[in-house]
Order: sequence, then structure tokens, then C-alpha cells
Amino acid sequence: MANQAKTHKIKMMEEQLAKKLNRQVVGSLVGCVHCGMCDESCHYVLAFPDDHKMTPSYKADQVRKLFKANHDWTGSVFPWWVGADKVPLSDDDLETLKDIAFGTCTNCRRCTLSCPMGVDTATLNRIMRGLLSHVGVMPEGVRVVSKDQWEIGNQMGVLKEDYIDTIEWMSEELEEDLGHAEATIPMEKKGAKIMYCINPREVKYDPRTIKEAALIFWAAGEDWTMPDEGWDNTNFGLFSGDDGLGGACAKREYEKARELGVDKIVISECGHGFRSTRFEGVNWAGESEPVPMESSVMTMLNYVREGKIKVDPTKNPEKMTFHDSCNNARSGGFFEEPRELLNLVAMDFQEMYPNRAEGFCCTGGGGAMSMSEYTPRRLESAKIKADQIRATGAKVVVTSCHNCVDGLNDLIKHYKLDCEVKQLVNLVANALVLDEVEKPVEEVAVPEEITVKPVAEAEPLAGRKILVVDDEEDVRTFLITVFEDAGAEVISAADGNEAIAMAREHLPDLISLDLSMPGKDGVETFVELRSTAETEEIPVCVVTGHPEFRQVIYDRPVPPPEGYLGKPVDEDKLVAYASHILEHRNEKAN
Amino acid sequence: MALFELGDVSIEVDEDGFMQEPENWNEAVAAALGSTEGVDDLTDDHWKVVNYLRDYYLQFGVAPMIRKLCKQTGFQLKEIYELFPSGPAKGACKVAGLPKPTGCV
Repeated sequence: MANQAKTHKIKMMEEQLAKKLNRQVVGSLVGCVHCGMCDESCHYVLAFPDDHKMTPSYKADQVRKLFKANHDWTGSVFPWWVGADKVPLSDDDLETLKDIAFGTCTNCRRCTLSCPMGVDTATLNRIMRGLLSHVGVMPEGVRVVSKDQWEIGNQMGVLKEDYIDTIEWMSEELEEDLGHAEATIPMEKKGAKIMYCINPREVKYDPRTIKEAALIFWAAGEDWTMPDEGWDNTNFGLFSGDDGLGGACAKREYEKARELGVDKIVISECGHGFRSTRFEGVNWAGESEPVPMESSVMTMLNYVREGKIKVDPTKNPEKMTFHDSCNNARSGGFFEEPRELLNLVAMDFQEMYPNRAEGFCCTGGGGAMSMSEYTPRRLESAKIKADQIRATGAKVVVTSCHNCVDGLNDLIKHYKLDCEVKQLVNLVANALVLDEVEKPVEEVAVPEEITVKPVAEAEPLAGRKILVVDDEEDVRTFLITVFEDAGAEVISAADGNEAIAMAREHLPDLISLDLSMPGKDGVETFVELRSTAETEEIPVCVVTGHPEFRQVIYDRPVPPPEGYLGKPVDEDKLVAYASHILEHRNEKAN
Repeated sequence: MALFELGDVSIEVDEDGFMQEPENWNEAVAAALGSTEGVDDLTDDHWKVVNYLRDYYLQFGVAPMIRKLCKQTGFQLKEIYELFPSGPAKGACKVAGLPKPTGCV
């Protein structure tokens, strides 16, 4: 019946949908029982509570109807019940679908967490975007950027000579600022360890972050390079739902990394860029053996952990809060590392609630910053985020995503909040202590073994008293030996109660704490230590085989632990961590 | 599409407040748009930036790289941010009557 009247475009969309079906997608298509539990997780629903078209299930139903009508038996037996009789027929319907898929959802995936059936609504919304893009229907802003990414190779149409000119400019400025001829930005250096990829807005409008990253790489003595092509870590394929574009963008980075022979790609602080390059792009591009990749947050954190750079948190004294990028956090599981780094480089960190996987979108996600037509609705939906930021009383909102920087700046302006937005690269660069950093030697290959700070050359923990808490005897023995070899005086405890008693009696300089112990576990022990006047100031480094407990411990209403290490523990890393925590402690105390 | 009105100025802007019809731009429009981006008084330095952006846009149809802007006007990057607190893309380009830059900005 309805088939007769369908336009060619709609038939093409139905054909395309068939190619997108896999187990996960079908699970999400058939799993929804319209219970409404996801409604209040969506910032659009919170801003427009009386509009049923804002609910996640309504948005996902747009794809669901097409699926039911074409692929599911329920659509043939009782089409009126499952909406299979209400599929789009005319090209005008596509405009409505465009407004729903692009204009009422930022694909933040928050609703997925509250779904008892595990329905991933954002995936379905992205599929709808992809079906529309497939027939040329998309917001103008997405179209322009996609075209630039396909044709020129980056989302802002930056030409190669302009890109190189800008990098050289930052390189010259860095050299001038530091007065070191070696302090430059290497371009196209074959065999470098790291290839650094950025968001085009850095090169087109605000290259200060490029210079800051270069400063940090230089201070760490890193062997790094920027590529002359394949440098755009962003990916509008994620936003438009076009997997072909997604794969093409990601592939440019992967192929360049192979051409240069680098060990890994480091992705500058861009949430969707990280997700697209690190995770999704591998599938879109059909990569079987992708080059290792990491967020620059991880790179910077490791520099501090391993003592490759020295930072002074007093340089960043303002009250700060952290905003989780949905792509980094909810989709990437990247929760604690940015917080750990933030605590190392700033004095006053105040958590925003909710946070981590439950954090709300900056409301500029999913490509929303490039679609002005939806800005008023987006800003209205940002009220929840604005209220949460205001409640922290922070003067600085820190985030690890360029898109969030712009989204947050927009809502700060709209809701007249008294704060500014910064990224971790800004804070780390600002906190860098350069005078004690040795000048790196260029062009000399440094063997892998000695890039980790040697432990035994001195006794970095000499004069320190450390309490080791672990219920397993062999682990305890290992930790004791490592700390003693580094010069520390070590005492130990095998359970929580003993640990608390010893901490009170001996007042150690540092406690290394296991989490999973019989009786009073590490989390309870930690909270008790932090809530007791004599022990609250003693730094704690958690050493655990259960990285998933991180959230539990960071969510306690006490200051977070100073360090967090997963087992098995590398002994050099352990000592580097311990000495860093102790030095950092002294700086804060001073 | 929305109407932006301030004093005698009345222009069509997009939902982010960028001009829709750059040909209707004039100095009064620039001053009015500046007031929405934390620029209350357009000094000679502001005009130097605004005029360069505008000329470049009329010639090439896109906003210039920040590199070109700094090189041609002689301002340092941080001076551009002092002049236009919301930055070259959202601040200076808006005042110069350019449409909203494309992409993640």
C-alpha cells in the first residue's frame, strides 16, 4: 500500500538501513518498551518537559518505524501498533526527520545509561542521520564541513601551506619564548615516537594550544612530530552518520602514522576526535592492526607521573571544576585520568554533580556547534548544565574537548555565569616548572630502557616513612622491597584496622593502600583516614588490582587519593609516583 | 533567522548572532555587533582587524587563518584576544560582518 507512494529517496534510505543492521542495532531497535525511564536523563526533555517529541524514545522511533515496516514481523502483523504504518513517504517528511535527528539530540548517549533494556538511542539517532546524509539531507553547516573533510582533508578547509606556515609561526614563537634553538616543532620527522594530531580550530583560529603542547613535549624531552597531512583528528563522519567519511578521515591519520613510522598517535584534547580516531575510526576504516593511539591527557599525565616534567600547582590557584566530554567519558571510559592530572596541576578542584558517565552534555556535542539553526533550542536545553556549573562556585570550568570549550562558552554567555573555560593543556603549560628540566638532546636516539627515570641512581625516597597496606603477603613484600630500595623506611599492615592504628601511631609520609581486603576494605579505610584529624593530611596512593573501584573511591565525600595505580605495578612507576606525590605535597604545603 | 536591533541598527542575523547579509554591513553595524561580544568601544586597533577581515572575506569568501590576520595587521595573537575577548572566530569575525565560521567553533 504505502510502498506505491514512497519517493525514491525514501526507498534509498530503506535500502541503506538494511546495510546498517547488526546485532547491537537490532537489539536497540526491538528492545525499547517505551517505559519512559530514559526521559529525564535527556537535557532536551528537562528543558521542554511537555514536548513528547523531545523524549529519546520518540527520536529513536523514527528509525524504529522504518525497521518495523521493512524488517520485523510485528510490522506485518500489527503495523498500526508498532508505527510501521507511519513511515515517511514524501521528501517533506525528510526535513522533519532532519530537524529531529540533528536538532533535538546531541548523541551524548546519556539516555542509554538509564535504559533497563540497554537500548543505545544515540546509535539509532546517528543511523537516522546517516540515512538522511545518504540522500543528501543534512544541515548546511554539516554539509559544508563534510565537503571540506572529504576534499581538502580537514574540517575547516585549511590548505597545506597555511597549516605549515602556522605551525612554523608557533615554532618560532616557542623558540623565542624559551631562547633555545632546539625548542621547535618538528614537522614530518620520520621515526619520531609520537605523531601529534589536532583539531583544525587550533590551527585556523587559536594556535596557542599548539604552542602549549609543543612546550610540554619539549620540556618532557619527547621525540615527537606533527604531520604535514593527516593532522586533523576531528571527524564529521561521527556527526553526519556517514561511516564512509568517518573511515576516510581516520584512515588519513593511520596511514600518515605508518608512513612516518611513529610509535603512536597522540590526539589533542578533542572529545569526538578522540572517540572517532581511537575507537570508531578503526571500524569505519577496516583497520586490522591500528597504530597505538592515546589522548594527550594521558601523555601529559604520564609525563608528570614519571617525573619527565615538573609542575607547580600553585600557578593555577583558582577554584576549578571539571566537565566530562561525553565522547571521552561516557563513550570512552576516560574518567579518572583527567581528574588526576587536574589535581596535579591545580590547587582547588571541585567536582561537578553529576559527573563522569552521568555528566550532562555541554549541549554543543554531536556537531551542534556547526548548526546555527538549532542554537536557541540548544541553549535552552543547556540550563541544566549551567545550573550545575553555577552550583560548584568554580571560576574555571576545565574540559578536555574543543567542542565542549565552545559549547560551554556559549552557555556561560547565555546564562551569565561568572567563569571561564580552560583545557588541561592550558593548565599544564601554565604550571610547568622549566628551570630544573634538562634540555633534551635532539637527533640522538634514546634507547627505550632509559626513557623511564632510573630508580636506583639515588635514593629518591630517602628519609621518608611509608606505610604499605595490602592483605596479600607477596604483594606486601614486593612493595616493601621497592620502597626500601628507594631509601624509604617502610612499615606495613595487612588489613584496614591495623592500617588505621599504624597510621595514627607512626604518622607516615605516605600510605600505599590496597582496596580489596577482607574485613574493613580499602575504601572504608581510606574514608576513615581522611575523616580523622591526625591522618587526614597523609597522602594516599591506591595500589589495586581493581581499576573499576576508582569511581567508588573518587565519589566519597572526602578529598580524593593523591595517586591511583593498577596492579601489576611497575617498580619504577611506583617510585616515580611516590616521589612525585611527596614533592607535590611539599609544594602545596609551602 | 532573527532580527538584531540596537539603536538605529536593524539587521538579519543567524541564531548565533552572525550577519546574514554581509552587504548591509557598515560601521554602525560593527559597533552594535561589538557590544554583543564584549567590545564596547571600537578603537583604531579594532578597526585595523575588522577591516582586514572584511577585505579578506569579500575577496576570498572565507575567514582568513589567524596566522594571516596577525601577519598582516602586525598584532600578536594575545593582542587579538585582548581586542576581542571572544576570540577571532566568534568575536572579530562577527563584528566584521562575516557569517559564522564553519565547523567546531
